[in-house]
Amino acid sequence: MKVLTFGWDFPPSRNGGLGVACLGLTRELTQEGIEVIFVLPRKQNTVGHTKFVFADKTSSKVTVREIDSGLTPYLATNNKLEYIDSYDSHGMPVIKSRTVLEEVHFFAHQASIIARQEDFDIIHAHDWTSFLAGVAAKEASHKPLILHVHATSFDQAAGDNVDPSIYKIECESFAAADQIFVVSNFTKNLIINKHGVDPEKVRVVHNGCDTYEPPKLEPTLSGLKQQGKKVILYHGRITIQKGVDYFIKAARRVVDVDPNVVFVISGWGDMTTQIINQVGENGLSSNVIFAGSLWEEERDRMYQSADLVVMPSVSEPFGLVPLEALQHGTASLISYQSGVGEVLSNVLKVDFWDVEEMANKILAAMRYPVLTNQIVSEGKIEMQKLSWREAAKKVVELYKNLLNYLTT
Amino acid sequence: MLSICPYFHVHQPFRIKKYRVFDIGNDNEYFNDGSDTDLNNRRIIEKVANKSYRPTNKILQELLDEHPDFRFALSFSGTVLDQFEAYAPDVLESFQRLVATGRVEILADTYHHSLAFFYSVPEFERQVTQHRKKIEKLFGVTPKVFRNTELSYRNDLAKWCEDNGYIGIMAEGWEKYLGWRSPNFVYQPPGCSKIKVLLKNYKLSDDVAFRFSNQGWASWPLSAETYADWIHSHHGGAETINLFMDYETFGEHQWEDTGIFNFLRALPKILTSRSDTVFRTPTETIKSYDSVGEIDVPDILTWADTDRDLTAWTGNDIQKDAIKSIYSMEEKVIKTKNKALIENWRKLQTSDHFYYMCTKWSEDGDVHAYFSPYQSPYDAYIAFMNALSDLQLRVSHALEIKESEATKRALKKEQTAKTEVEEIVPETKPVPVTPPSIWQKISLSVKKWSGSFINFIKAKRKN
Repeated sequence: MKVLTFGWDFPPSRNGGLGVACLGLTRELTQEGIEVIFVLPRKQNTVGHTKFVFADKTSSKVTVREIDSGLTPYLATNNKLEYIDSYDSHGMPVIKSRTVLEEVHFFAHQASIIARQEDFDIIHAHDWTSFLAGVAAKEASHKPLILHVHATSFDQAAGDNVDPSIYKIECESFAAADQIFVVSNFTKNLIINKHGVDPEKVRVVHNGCDTYEPPKLEPTLSGLKQQGKKVILYHGRITIQKGVDYFIKAARRVVDVDPNVVFVISGWGDMTTQIINQVGENGLSSNVIFAGSLWEEERDRMYQSADLVVMPSVSEPFGLVPLEALQHGTASLISYQSGVGEVLSNVLKVDFWDVEEMANKILAAMRYPVLTNQIVSEGKIEMQKLSWREAAKKVVELYKNLLNYLTT
Repeated sequence: MLSICPYFHVHQPFRIKKYRVFDIGNDNEYFNDGSDTDLNNRRIIEKVANKSYRPTNKILQELLDEHPDFRFALSFSGTVLDQFEAYAPDVLESFQRLVATGRVEILADTYHHSLAFFYSVPEFERQVTQHRKKIEKLFGVTPKVFRNTELSYRNDLAKWCEDNGYIGIMAEGWEKYLGWRSPNFVYQPPGCSKIKVLLKNYKLSDDVAFRFSNQGWASWPLSAETYADWIHSHHGGAETINLFMDYETFGEHQWEDTGIFNFLRALPKILTSRSDTVFRTPTETIKSYDSVGEIDVPDILTWADTDRDLTAWTGNDIQKDAIKSIYSMEEKVIKTKNKALIENWRKLQTSDHFYYMCTKWSEDGDVHAYFSPYQSPYDAYIAFMNALSDLQLRVSHALEIKESEATKRALKKEQTAKTEVEEIVPETKPVPVTPPSIWQKISLSVKKWSGSFINFIKAKRKN
């Protein structure tokens, strides 16, 4: 079976969970014997070639097609993407720009060309920026289309104030798709209620995680730890979707009771300034550390050194952070509004708006180390069932069922 | 002759509210949740009273009235009796009427539905005494047969019961200890000479308690006739069928629409339609049969989960930590001699708190989740440990006050001794008279009331 996949840059491209999910799933799909034509946007300023991190023995199963496009996940439609159109007589680049919306359409146009050139059985498009590409490929090839929803406009907006052009693309693409994969029941309910999708069309494929034991790294923030400080970590984009403002409110309540707690914020985003101001207004400057965006080893060191990781998302389709934290031996507190909670029991949970309870659970985790120790030890066992391998097996089953259904 | 010996266990814990770290030192009401969640103890009692206690007691009363040979036993935790008194006194009265027939036996138990025997025998003994007094006060009877929390059992518990005058004790009829032998006979614990053990026939008991409404079960729907056939099929190879289950099976675990009430209503008549089948209370069963052999249970046996041990309460680290923390307070709490503190401490010993912390997600997870009012075992642990932290603070505070008072008294004594030497005629001071506390008053009036109620019932029976 051959799948035309519209996906995203793999790690270490620093784009958050989407690339991680694309890599994990595609890697395991090839292990299951699926051939993948992987189409991804290539930025012009990429130095060298996009790193493609598949094991050697399976790389023959993956063909990479790149489209020159500045698309990245997590964009708003009015963002401008600049590109080099041509070079003038002095050899200087002529810079032009397109909006994301134009870029998405450009990407779709290129996709339909690729769809005519390649031979495949099924189309699988990840996230809204590639939905139109998926639809275009379907029109060009008449092959079945699967859209894979990792986040919706409602998650990004953390409410109903959504970007109407994204919402329109979502609705039209959902209508054109043969099947829609979502990363949680949370997201399934959302697209049924908000986009009017027929529940029969939707399949839940929970994300997986890496289950190997990572190397023990040199601890970070050791100065603070030596002073007996406890470290609470937030890791993620600083946007309204992620609930960082509630995290800061909870921090205030925690510090009232226990001034020995330090909150580390790893990430960046359109709310960064607002959060910095909020920290100042709440007199928390000496208890909150802005670490910038931490990736790879720096991020892993922080996971390993933290006493608790908090993911206070307002609307989180899945949320890989608590699984990554567990892998590094640290317990998490997540919001009930997170899809990962459907498959992970060894985690503390709270409603994102319940600041008192968030603070209570942070304090309890600090007071009773037996609690976090057990969450980690039992969580590591539970994680073994949540591998990308399991997710890929489910996807293969769904591919087969869909093809059977359409051909009989 | 085949005996049928049913006993129904009536219990509700005092569930701990969402008690937060911020409440430590500020709020000593751990059990007064007023929300519309299952943490609200009054709400649960009212709900279960309507679904189970009231309709079931009505049926049991009718059965006792219609069938002079119908008999069974009840066991109550003190915590459920306290809550009946506070939230549903009519339910308590209906139980008192059942017991007043003389055909309903009450079993001995710990007051607080605790696992104290395995952690502190002196504390266990205090709770058993407290329970006995409560039963005597409310029902006018003294239990002779013992059942421990969650049917937990071990050889040394049986020995303790024998040494303390009990004639029988209940346990799970579990193959691990029975081997090839049947639970449908009376046994004797090792090292004991008088006390006998009644073993639960878990298959027949769980057919009603767990499987009755399971539509995936081959025998669903179970009729009273079929069930009676199963029991009658033991004739010739058994002496007593011991059916032990939660009282709340009727109407609460198995809802009315499963047909459980009709099943209960029909069963006694069908069972006793064979004249060689009789209902017997545990005491009657024990007196009717000799022991057929010894049952040796060196490790803790309970009626819970597929493991039948204590792992549902003490299987993981948070449970072990919680239970260790509560029993390690014993010496200090008792030393305060403060009734409210001791009572709070005991309510926190109720085994349900530890059951809610169980993380056997897979095999028995559904049963645990069904019984838990918390969204996660970790939430249960946090509420418990926070409440316990507050209690620890209050205990230390009470002891500090006690100590400083003792020091003051000692100082005073010293001073008076000195003055006695110096002055020949010391000034006499009037001794302050302490009025009886509010609690003494209440307990006096309760005693009076319950005494008169029992007399009233007795008078009614004579008529």
